[in-house]
Amino acid sequence: MSAVTAPVALVRRRPPASVRRKRFLLAVANHSLLIAAAVAFLAPFIFILLTSLMTNNQALSTSLWPHPIRWSNFYDVFTKAPFWRWALNTLQYSVLATIGLVLSSVPVAYALARLRWRGRQVSFLIVLIALMLPPQVTVVPLYVMWAKLHLVGTLWPVILPNWFGDAFSIFLLRQFFLTIPEEYLDAARVDGCGELRIVATVVTRLAKPAIAAVALFSFLYTFNDFFLPLLYTGENPHHWVLSLGLSEFRSLHQVQWNLTMAATLLVMAPVIVLFFLAQRAFVEGVTLTGVKG
Amino acid sequence: MKRVATVSVLLVASLALAACGGSSKSSSSKRVNLTLWAGWSAGTHELKAFKSLVDEYNAKQKKIHVKVVGDINDTKIVAAIRSGTAPDIVSSFNSYNVGNYCGTGAWIDLSPYLKKDHIDVNEFPPATRYYTQYGGKRCALPLLADTYGLYYNKTLFANAGIKRPPKTISELTADVKKLTQRSSDGTIQVAGLDPLIGFYENVPERWSTSFNVKWLKPGGTSSDIADDPGWRKLFEWQKSLVDWYGYGKLVRFQSGLGDEFSASQAFEKGKLAMNLDGEWRVAFIADEVPHLNYGTAPMPVDDAHPELYGSGYINGTIIGIPKGKKHNDEAWQVVKYLTTDPHFLAQFSNKIRNVPTTKAALRSSEIQPDPHFSTFLKIFSNPHSTTSPIMASGVAYTNFVQSFFTKWQGSNGQGLEGKLRSLAKELDAQVKQAGGGGSAVP
Amino acid sequence: MRLRPAADAGAVSVPASPALARRPGKRRAAWRRRRLVLLLMSPWIVGFTVFFGYPLVMSVYLSFTHYDLLSSPRWIGTANYRYLFHDDPQVWTAVKNTLWYIAVAVPLQVLFAFGIALMLARARRGVGIFRTIFYLPALAPPVAATLGFVYILNPATGPVNVLLGHLGVQGPLWFHDPHWSKPALVALTVWGVGNTMVIFLAAVLDVPRHLYESAELDGAGVFSRLRWVTLPSISPVILFAVVFNVIQGLQYFTQAYVAAGVAAGQASQAADVTAVNLGYPQDSTLFYPVLLYQHGFTDFQMGYASAMSVLLLVVSFAITLVIVLNSRRWVYQAAPR
Repeated sequence: MSAVTAPVALVRRRPPASVRRKRFLLAVANHSLLIAAAVAFLAPFIFILLTSLMTNNQALSTSLWPHPIRWSNFYDVFTKAPFWRWALNTLQYSVLATIGLVLSSVPVAYALARLRWRGRQVSFLIVLIALMLPPQVTVVPLYVMWAKLHLVGTLWPVILPNWFGDAFSIFLLRQFFLTIPEEYLDAARVDGCGELRIVATVVTRLAKPAIAAVALFSFLYTFNDFFLPLLYTGENPHHWVLSLGLSEFRSLHQVQWNLTMAATLLVMAPVIVLFFLAQRAFVEGVTLTGVKG
Repeated sequence: MKRVATVSVLLVASLALAACGGSSKSSSSKRVNLTLWAGWSAGTHELKAFKSLVDEYNAKQKKIHVKVVGDINDTKIVAAIRSGTAPDIVSSFNSYNVGNYCGTGAWIDLSPYLKKDHIDVNEFPPATRYYTQYGGKRCALPLLADTYGLYYNKTLFANAGIKRPPKTISELTADVKKLTQRSSDGTIQVAGLDPLIGFYENVPERWSTSFNVKWLKPGGTSSDIADDPGWRKLFEWQKSLVDWYGYGKLVRFQSGLGDEFSASQAFEKGKLAMNLDGEWRVAFIADEVPHLNYGTAPMPVDDAHPELYGSGYINGTIIGIPKGKKHNDEAWQVVKYLTTDPHFLAQFSNKIRNVPTTKAALRSSEIQPDPHFSTFLKIFSNPHSTTSPIMASGVAYTNFVQSFFTKWQGSNGQGLEGKLRSLAKELDAQVKQAGGGGSAVP
Repeated sequence: MRLRPAADAGAVSVPASPALARRPGKRRAAWRRRRLVLLLMSPWIVGFTVFFGYPLVMSVYLSFTHYDLLSSPRWIGTANYRYLFHDDPQVWTAVKNTLWYIAVAVPLQVLFAFGIALMLARARRGVGIFRTIFYLPALAPPVAATLGFVYILNPATGPVNVLLGHLGVQGPLWFHDPHWSKPALVALTVWGVGNTMVIFLAAVLDVPRHLYESAELDGAGVFSRLRWVTLPSISPVILFAVVFNVIQGLQYFTQAYVAAGVAAGQASQAADVTAVNLGYPQDSTLFYPVLLYQHGFTDFQMGYASAMSVLLLVVSFAITLVIVLNSRRWVYQAAPR
C-alpha cells in the first residue's frame, strides 16, 4: 500500500495551474448540480408543509403560500380522525414484530453462518428464494388460514409471522456473522461456553450494529407496511395502523388537501425524527445490505 | 389474587344490573347486544341521524341493544363475511353485490322470517323488491332508496336566460353549452354539466333510463350492450359532449373541485350549473348552503322516447344478516323494524332525505313535504324508473361497463361497434367465471 | 464497516467426518451438534413450513378450484387458467403495466443513485447535509409520499402545474391521464432512491484510490476512469440494486393503490365502489399485484386469485433467474481483497 502511495503523493504535490483551474471548475459544476438536485428532492416536503398550513378554501385554489397560516390544522387532524389509536396500533405492530424478528432470526443466521452441517447451503438458498418471491404469491392461502383461525380483523396475522424468522434479516445477519473473527468464538469455547451461550452473549455483543440495523429496518418496514394491514385489518378500523388510516383519511373524513397534508406530515415525522437520532445506524445498516455475500 | 378478581367482577356485574333501573325482569339481564354496520359516514349529518333513530329503538324495548358502526363499504362487508368477522347486521349503500351476497349465501335468506311474521313483500315497491333478491333467495330488504335526478342552479339558469330545466337530451346539450363559462385561456370556470363518467355520482347506469337501455338479451343472461340502440346513443352522445369541452380541459377542471361529500362540493359552490345527483343532496344543501337557489327535476330523456320523461334510476341501501352469526332471531327483529316501521322510515327519510321504501311509509303523514324532495318521490313511483341488473359477479359487472366507459370517453371515439362487441363478450365471460348467471331487471 | 467477503472462511468445523463419528463419544457429540442446529434453525423451519411451503402448495391446489371462502373449494380443472390467459381483459393490461414500470423505473433508479453517489463522492463540502437530503425521501412512508405526490401533481391546483403555468407551460394531467400516471409513479420511485444511493456511495468510496491514480497516470480521462475503474469495481452492487428493484417492481402495490384511489376519489365517490378506482385512470395504474388484490380480496375469487399468484410465482422466479445467470457476463468478479 505505502509502496504505491509514495510516488503518487509526489506527483500530486503541485499540479500545474491549468489542471488546478480545471479541477476547480469541475468542483463548481459538481456542486451546482448537487444543489439543483437537492432542491428538487426537498421541494415535495416544502410543498406538503406549505399546504398543511392553508385554509380549506385556499387549498382548493392555485396559491402556493399559506395566508393566513393555520397551525390549528395539525390539531384538527386529531379531532377529525382517531390518530392516536392508529399510532398505538402501529407501535404495537412495530414493537411486537421487531422483538420477535430479532429473537428468531439471530439463531437461524448463526446456524447458517458459523456451523457446518449437511443441508446448510440448501437452507441458505431457500432463504434467498423466500427473500426474492413477492408476498402476493402466498397471500391467498395465508388469508384463508388466518380466517379459519378467526384472526382476520386483528393485527396478529401481520405480527406473528415475524416470530418465525424473517428471510431478509436472516440474510443480513448471516453476512455479518461471517465477518466475526473465529478467535473470539474460540476464546468463548475454551472458557467452556456452549454454542447457545455463545450465540446469546458473544455473538450478540459483537453483532450489535447488525442487530441494530435489523431492528431499525424492521421498525421502518412495519411502520410503512400497507399491503398486509390492508388485507387483514381493512374491515376493522379499530386495528388500523397509521398507513392505513392515512390512506382512507381523505375519503372518510371529507377533508380537503390542507388537512390531508397535515396528516401526511404527521405520519412522516416519527421516521424522520428517528433518522436524525440514529443516522449512523441507518447509513451503516443500508450499506450493510448492499454488500454482496 | 384470582379470587379477588372474581369477586370484583361479580360486584361490577351486579352494579351494572342494578343500574339497569326499575324493571328488573329476567329479560333485561339478558339484553342482547348487536352490532350493525352502515355506510353512512361519520363526516356527514347522515350517520348522526341514523344513530339517534337507532337509539330511539334501543330505548323503546329492553331485549336488544344495537350499536351502529359507520363508514362501511362493500369491500369491508365482503371481507368481513369471508373472514368470519362480520357484525350481526350489515347494510350496504347499494345493491350491486346482491347477486354475490344471495348467490353465495353470504347473507342469509330472509324468506322464512318474512313468512313467519306475515310480511307481504309486495309492501316494498317493485324496484326495491327486485334488487334485494337473487336466485330465488331474498337475502336483503330495502332500507330507504335512492333515486337520481337533475339538480340545476336557478341563478345560473336565469343569467343564461333559460326558463326551465331541460327535458330532452338535445335541450340538455344546448343548455350545457349556454351555461358553460370559460376564462380567456379556455380554462373551464363553470361547467354546464360534467358528463365525465366517474365524476361524483356520474356512472353509466344512472343514465340508463334516459336512453332506455337494455342490459341483457331477452330471457337470458348474456349482455345486450352491443346490440341495444340505447347504449349506442348514450355512448355517442356522452362522447360528443366530452369532446365539445375537450377531454383534457374537463379533467383539469374537475381535478380542482372539492370532494363530493365535503362542504366544497362543486354544485353547492356554484361551479356546476347542472348536476346528476341523488335525492340526499337536498339534505346536504339544506345543511351546508341553505340559501342556494336551485331546483330539482327528472333526468332529460332521449328525444325519441319522450314518454320516459319523469323516470329515473333507482338503487338504495339494503340491509341483511350475515351468515354464521349467533343472534339471527334478534337481528331479524332489528331488520324488521328498520325496514318496515313506518315511523322509523318516515323520520329517517325526513332527516337524510332518502326515499321511504314501504308503501305505508310513502303514504305516511309524518313525511315532511319539500318541493325539492318531492321530485324524487315522483321519480321513484314512475313506472319507467329502473335499476341495474343483479348478476352473479356482483359489482364487478357494472364496474366493467364503467371502466369501459372511462376508456371510451378519453379515446378518439372510433370503432364503438367493435369495442362494444368485445365488451359484451368480456361481460359474459366474467359472469361465467363467477360461476353463475343473473336476472334481468323487470 | 468493512465486511470480509463471504465464504466458509469463518465457519466452525463440526467434526462430521465419518471416520471420527464412528467412535461412540464422537457420535454423541455429532448428535448433539445436529440437535443444536435443529434448535437454532427451528424458528425458520416452522416459519418456512407454515408461512411459505404450505401456502405455496395450497396456492397451486386452489388455482384449480372455485373458492369463495364461504363454501368449500370446488374442483374446476383448468378453468381459472383459461380465463386468465384467454378471457380476462385486464390481465394483459396489468402484465404490460408491471413490465413497463420495471423496465423504466429500475434503470432510472440505478442511474439516479449512481449519478448522485458520484457527485457526492466528488463533493468537498457539505457531503453530510447533501446525503441527508437525498436520503430523506426514502424514509417517507409510501402512503404519505404518494398522497404528497398526488397533491403536488394535481392538474388544477398542484404546485408543479401552478409553477409551470407561471412559466407559460400547461402542465400535464399527471395522475389523471393514462399516459402520465405511470411516469408520475416513476418520479415518486426515483424520489425515494435514497437507499440505493447510500449503497452506491459506500461502494464508490470503497474503490481503491490507487486504481484511479494508476489509471490517471496511464492518461485516462474522467469518463474512461468511470468506465474502466468505477463501474467494474461496483458492478456487484449494481447487480444487487437491479435484482432488488426488479423484485420490488414485481410486487409494486401500495403507491399504485393509494394514488389511484386518491386521484379517482378526488372526483368521484360514485356509489362508494372502491374497486372501480383501482387502476385509475383507465387501468393505467393497474399493476399485476393490484389486479390480484382486486380478484382475491374485493371479489373474493380465491381460486382465480391463486391462479394469478401461481403465474406471478413462475414469472418472478424466471426473471430473477435470468438476471442472476446473465450477471456473470457483466459483473466483475473481484479477486479476494
